[in-house]
Amino acid sequence: MKLFALIKKEFHRFFHDRRLIITMLLPGIVIFLLYTVIGEAIHTEPPKYDYKVYVEGESSVTSMIQSAVEASGNTVEWIPLGDMEAARKEVEEGEATAILSFTEDFDLFGENSAVSVVYDPMDEAGSGFYSLSLAVLQQVGMKFSIHSEPLASDESIGREVMQQILPFIIVCFVFSACMSVTLESVAGEKERGTLATILVTSAKRSHIALGKIVPLACISMLGALSSFLGVVLSMPKLMGLSVGMLGGYRFGAYVLIFLLILSFVPLIVSLISTISTAARSVKEASAYTSVLMIFVMIFSLVTAFVPAIGNWVVAIPILNAVVSMQGLLAGALPVWQSLVSVGMNLVYTAGLMFLMTRMLSSEKVMFGK
Amino acid sequence: MSELEEIVRAEGLKKTFTLSRKQQKIEKTGEKSRIAVNGLSFSAYRGEIYGLLGPNGAGKTTTLRMLSTLIRPDAGDATVNGFSVVKQPEKVRDSIGFMTSELKLEGFFTPDYLFDFFGAMHGVGKDALAQRKRELFSRFGIDRFAQVQVKNLSTGMLQKVSLVISIVHDPAVVIFDEPTNGLDVLTAKVVTDFLLELKEMGKSILLSTHIFSLVEKLCDRVGVIIDGKMAREGTLAEVANGDLEKSFFEIYHEIKGEFV
Repeated sequence: MKLFALIKKEFHRFFHDRRLIITMLLPGIVIFLLYTVIGEAIHTEPPKYDYKVYVEGESSVTSMIQSAVEASGNTVEWIPLGDMEAARKEVEEGEATAILSFTEDFDLFGENSAVSVVYDPMDEAGSGFYSLSLAVLQQVGMKFSIHSEPLASDESIGREVMQQILPFIIVCFVFSACMSVTLESVAGEKERGTLATILVTSAKRSHIALGKIVPLACISMLGALSSFLGVVLSMPKLMGLSVGMLGGYRFGAYVLIFLLILSFVPLIVSLISTISTAARSVKEASAYTSVLMIFVMIFSLVTAFVPAIGNWVVAIPILNAVVSMQGLLAGALPVWQSLVSVGMNLVYTAGLMFLMTRMLSSEKVMFGK
Repeated sequence: MSELEEIVRAEGLKKTFTLSRKQQKIEKTGEKSRIAVNGLSFSAYRGEIYGLLGPNGAGKTTTLRMLSTLIRPDAGDATVNGFSVVKQPEKVRDSIGFMTSELKLEGFFTPDYLFDFFGAMHGVGKDALAQRKRELFSRFGIDRFAQVQVKNLSTGMLQKVSLVISIVHDPAVVIFDEPTNGLDVLTAKVVTDFLLELKEMGKSILLSTHIFSLVEKLCDRVGVIIDGKMAREGTLAEVANGDLEKSFFEIYHEIKGEFV
């Protein structure tokens, strides 16, 4: 009954405060909108141009440039240069794209050969043509041998990015969701003296710890889920892929990812709760937790770029979930690794809960100056 | 005294605190620890108001915290309503209502919600809780504010709500650390009237204070604490000997060998 009342109180505190609900759910919505807008901006088709270029002199380079222009989806019309002044005026007024002048007897390997490009840098078509021509000219002039190789498909790039970055993003959002509710609820209550009021009652310290961690984990899960959905649904858009790509993962992978999140949310809540119980103020708890968050972020990010991590990683809390999620998103199904990670995270959670209970019983922690 | 029933009995309570380097620096001392309470023994009887009187740092708050089981004595023991603070802390907590300015109510909740919550924390049944809420809210004029968030209550009403919630479980003993400290005159009157009402209701009250007038107004018996030890104990008349303030400073001089 006492434990139930404690859990109910935390839920009541959260669900009757509109500001808290908005704070918790808003990141997911903002992430979705922001990433979608960025994705739209990045992947909007660039405009097609019909370049009108005056040419002075002759060279096979023009046909190379033409090929490059056409490869980028544009067209080019070469016009022999007559009156230089009139042509420059046209370029300035945006009626022509550029003027390409080759020196007499232009030789690709000749030291005295030169080419000049006249263009308007403020004109998108002009600067686009200039960049393209420059790239071709540099390649030719520096005698680079070019080997063509088929590039990776968009889908596989997307999957790799998802595999490396998504677990990191999930951990970050879960951590910040846990932080926003837990710091206030534990360190805040301790600082304000409302936690001590509960300690004067006959409720067991273990129930008080559990009465904080269980509801806070559920609430954090909501926030984490909102951010998670925001990221997952906007990620394909951000990378210029279809949302349908998410269907490429097996159902089992989603179940395991969900279980992993389910295991490290209470772990992070217990961790922040324990730190908050030990801290003397929200400010102090917030400082410690921020340092912890930076460490977790660095480790989560580093693992994305480490090619092979040993199985020992399952013993490292949070990191085990990150590595398992990377495996799952890479298309593998590391079932045992994921399940052991879930188990280990729950064991760590129980350990932290025990520690928090001890802290709540410690007069030095609770009433020390 | 034989007809009086002991409700609180402290025997040789001792508590030492370690001083952090920061505290040593602030207090300009090289001491690594400080004895806050040094073998304190006293008894309070059912239905009376017992006052622990002493200067700041005498050990009053530490004593009350030990009696309310918030901290554990290093030596000695005490019984509250027959339960040991060392061996049966949860039973002691169900027997006491503890009030101090350090214990606060969360401003987000209403008096109605908090009364139910703390009732549940003490294991009070639903029907008994509803009945007690009706009685206490009506007696102390809280009923009109029952659904107002605590953060929006006036200081006086907030104090009343805190007092009523501290006795939600109908405790045998009410322990009150510095009941009028930091309160304006109106709120202080709310508190003193409340304590007198509790006494009328047959409750036993143990309070700590350094205010002579408060002891003279409320207490039946007094224990004078100086340097963590019981310097004098008895009825108000016995200890005051006509003038409580004068008597206190005589005791202080006797113990410390210095005049204030």
